[in-house]
Amino acid sequence: MVPEMVHYAPFIGGDRMLEAVRPWLSASAVVLGLLLAAPATSLAADPQKVLRIAFEVAETGFDPAKVTDNYSNQVTQVVFERLLSYDYLARPMKLVPGAAEALPDVTDNGKTYLFRLRKGIYFQPDPAFKGARRELTVADYAYSIKRFVDPANRSPWRFLVDGKIVGLDDVAKRAAQSKRFDYDAKVAGLEIVDRYTLRIRLNQSDYNFAYIMAMPAMSALAREVIEAYPDDSNAHPVGTGPYMLKSWTRKARIVLEANPDYREVIWDFVVSNDPRDQAAVAAMKGKRIPQIGRVEISVIEEEQSRWLAFQRGEIDFIDRFGSFAPIAIPDNKLSPDLAARGITWDRSVEPEITYYFFNMKDPVVGGYSKEKLALRRAMILAYDTAEEIRVIRKNQAIEDQMPVPAGVVGHDPAYRSIIRHDPQLANQLLDYYGYKKGSDGYRNDPSGKPFTIVLTSEPQATSREYDELWRKALDGIGLRFETRKSPFSDNIKAAEACQLAMWGSAWAADYPDGENFMQLLYGPNSHQSNHGCYESAAFDEMYVRMKNMPDSPERDRLFLLMSRQMEVDGAWKLGVSRYRNVLVYPQVKGYRYHPINTAVWEYLDIDPAARRQ
Amino acid sequence: MPFDKPQHVISPSLWALAWKRLVASRVAMVSLGIVAAFLMLIALSASGLIAKDWARETGVNYAPPSFLGEDIEQAGQPAAPGGPISASDKPTELPIQDPLADAIADIRGEKKAPGSEAPSGESQTVDPLADVMADIRAKGTQATVAETRASTLPFGADKWGRDVLKKTIKGSETSIFVGLAAAFVATLLGTVFGAVAGYYGRWLDDFFNWFYSVFTAIPYLLLILAVAAVLQQKGTLTIILILGLTGWTGTFRLIRGEYLKHKGREYVQAADAIGASNGRRMFVHIFPNVSHVVLVQLSIYTVAFIKAEVILSFLGFGVPVDVVSWGSMLNEAQNELILGKWWQLAAAGTAMALLVTAFSLFTDELRDALDPKLK
Repeated sequence: MVPEMVHYAPFIGGDRMLEAVRPWLSASAVVLGLLLAAPATSLAADPQKVLRIAFEVAETGFDPAKVTDNYSNQVTQVVFERLLSYDYLARPMKLVPGAAEALPDVTDNGKTYLFRLRKGIYFQPDPAFKGARRELTVADYAYSIKRFVDPANRSPWRFLVDGKIVGLDDVAKRAAQSKRFDYDAKVAGLEIVDRYTLRIRLNQSDYNFAYIMAMPAMSALAREVIEAYPDDSNAHPVGTGPYMLKSWTRKARIVLEANPDYREVIWDFVVSNDPRDQAAVAAMKGKRIPQIGRVEISVIEEEQSRWLAFQRGEIDFIDRFGSFAPIAIPDNKLSPDLAARGITWDRSVEPEITYYFFNMKDPVVGGYSKEKLALRRAMILAYDTAEEIRVIRKNQAIEDQMPVPAGVVGHDPAYRSIIRHDPQLANQLLDYYGYKKGSDGYRNDPSGKPFTIVLTSEPQATSREYDELWRKALDGIGLRFETRKSPFSDNIKAAEACQLAMWGSAWAADYPDGENFMQLLYGPNSHQSNHGCYESAAFDEMYVRMKNMPDSPERDRLFLLMSRQMEVDGAWKLGVSRYRNVLVYPQVKGYRYHPINTAVWEYLDIDPAARRQ
Repeated sequence: MPFDKPQHVISPSLWALAWKRLVASRVAMVSLGIVAAFLMLIALSASGLIAKDWARETGVNYAPPSFLGEDIEQAGQPAAPGGPISASDKPTELPIQDPLADAIADIRGEKKAPGSEAPSGESQTVDPLADVMADIRAKGTQATVAETRASTLPFGADKWGRDVLKKTIKGSETSIFVGLAAAFVATLLGTVFGAVAGYYGRWLDDFFNWFYSVFTAIPYLLLILAVAAVLQQKGTLTIILILGLTGWTGTFRLIRGEYLKHKGREYVQAADAIGASNGRRMFVHIFPNVSHVVLVQLSIYTVAFIKAEVILSFLGFGVPVDVVSWGSMLNEAQNELILGKWWQLAAAGTAMALLVTAFSLFTDELRDALDPKLK
């Protein structure tokens, strides 16, 4: 269960780099050089190779410090670069150097991290650089980290660095007073040793910090660009990654093109026993990253439309097609019809959870009195997750027992929650605490006032199925229920402001450690990622203890205790972990699903000849 | 033999003549019959005589229609690996106190052995809630008996196992009610606005024309969605308002034209001469002469709004989650059709097609009957 953290898999062999350069040294050597180099250096990205994909939810923007949704992050992942990245094929997931030369030197019991940046990485051209070539330096990483605590950014990622980096909180405090964040102020914990060396000092030991440095939020941004577009950083992503934003029609279409200045990176991953990995390696090994010259992303929110677009070959691969699982993968086998078209199937359990939070500040469902606890517990007991899995998810999910999913540190497969679907007990609990039924057959609160449970959800057809399941559950225990509909991107903003009484969403691991899930319940993260504004002293105390501990059995036990604390407080109705089923057309080469770096486009190739007309 | 009884030649009224022409048309009678049958159906369902228990899950999920026989592949999708937690699994014991544990133990009639977390079966004492519990248990067993679900239903079941036939009847009630009510609102608004604009003319006419132009300048569906977004609240009444408030423009133009035409006629001048007030001239003298237009408009709108409700619900802006309508059924059917579960689509689609066709044909015949010169 514990992923190995330190593993070095070089992207580039020094020899190959030389070979790639050699053909251009002299005209006479060109032919010979190309012949010699052919197996190792294929040409750079081909604009004729177009990858077409669909997002099921609209993006919100491309400023890594401001966006949290998976869809926006997929784009920021390929436009920007982090110091660290993940090995494409290794499972359990392994960190590898990204823009850094090597994995960091961790000293001082996990309190000091020393990063060395690769030299000669340049930003994509942008008017903000006034025509000059702009090299990436570690100052850009320090700047990007400071942006999280700049109050003007109201960054939802602030929790990643809050109270963590030596001296950063002082600068943030001063900014809160002066209303202006001083980016030039020295922060002791972000020491720029030289242009290419960054020493990060932490207040407390944190053995997950290397994972954090691999998250899309930790991308390097150029200060000139942010200052050139102060109010619209979401629309001007300028990074050093393999792709750049070509055009953007908000909430409809995103076109990326390969970055011609992207440094030379060669596809070279260690092959495992998995035949799917072997196929990817056979197709891709030795090619230059990226091969695909253009990525076209359409936002197609309706599942059926996405499925039909895939059927017609309008998108090159599809994931999240739950309702169609019975025809795509009947009996958990790829349907012969799809197999005949050369389509391949890639399944894995997501390191993710779905959950419905209850807003603890809400006058109806919130609060910690026994009456309110009983109300929430009753709703949680009444909701039938097994039926959700069977009917709505077509058995393509497993029920979660704890907020830390399988494949993530802190998960215990033997753990059993105190929650069992039991509508009868739910009814009795409500009776017990004086929620008496009024003349309309629905319950009033113990003081006799009628109340309504309001669930926020999205206008899509699939959301209505969950609404119906909730309605059934709450009807069964005599609670009035209504839904409010608005788009996901609006809901997430309202949720961050703790304005929704009840809303369901999913959280996918940013890094394979349970802390990343428990932070969704940590009190001080209210108004950021803690959408229910859940605040429990007991939980928070355990969370802080867990955070300062290296991976150990005591730390694993804390995850169980925190899970139980969340259960007894009724902060969430915990849901499921979905299977990620991906169907891939034969023209796409090298596809493997990566649970964390979900945007794997740079590792793929397109064979236009194999594309069906 | 139009004049069979020559004794007293009483010129029959417009309505009597129209009724006669209507009765003579077989198409009109058949379609009227269908519409009447639907109206009766929704009256029965609204009064709770039929389809009252449409939300009960009587069949298995996606139970096929009886004439197809049982679905052998019902169990087709096996539970994926890592399946459900078995009921015998006890919660992991941890030293965290559940604040509701006492209440739950109380409810379950379990008394905790002192100092022990696990409930002990031996130390059961008299349960203060024993009567209530027995009652609840009795109800519980009843519910379990009813749980036996049919493997087929006359018209199949939806994904939760609800009877599609009952659902369609309940859906008809919503859709037809919405259609009729919204048509009434729209026609009323259109008629009043049209009458005022056409009769008074001048700045009032300009005002209403301007208002009309603004409304028609916005694409219809967009307008509906905009109003829906502004109203926020979901409910049948909201849909009626949305459709009614956006749909009056057609009637307005027609009625305005009629009033413009009629206000100069001799009978109106005569009414003016005997001192009839403006209101009286508008609604007592002119209105009966244009009321056939209104009636035709009303029926055209009913058809249009039934369809509009379907579109709204299909787009997810329609009826709330505890209400079923043809639109919400078709919305659900999107994905079902591809899975081969066609019966919900068929039932809602057939019901809607039947009513809309019958209503449209009837409207056509009604117009012909009321205005024979147009033929």
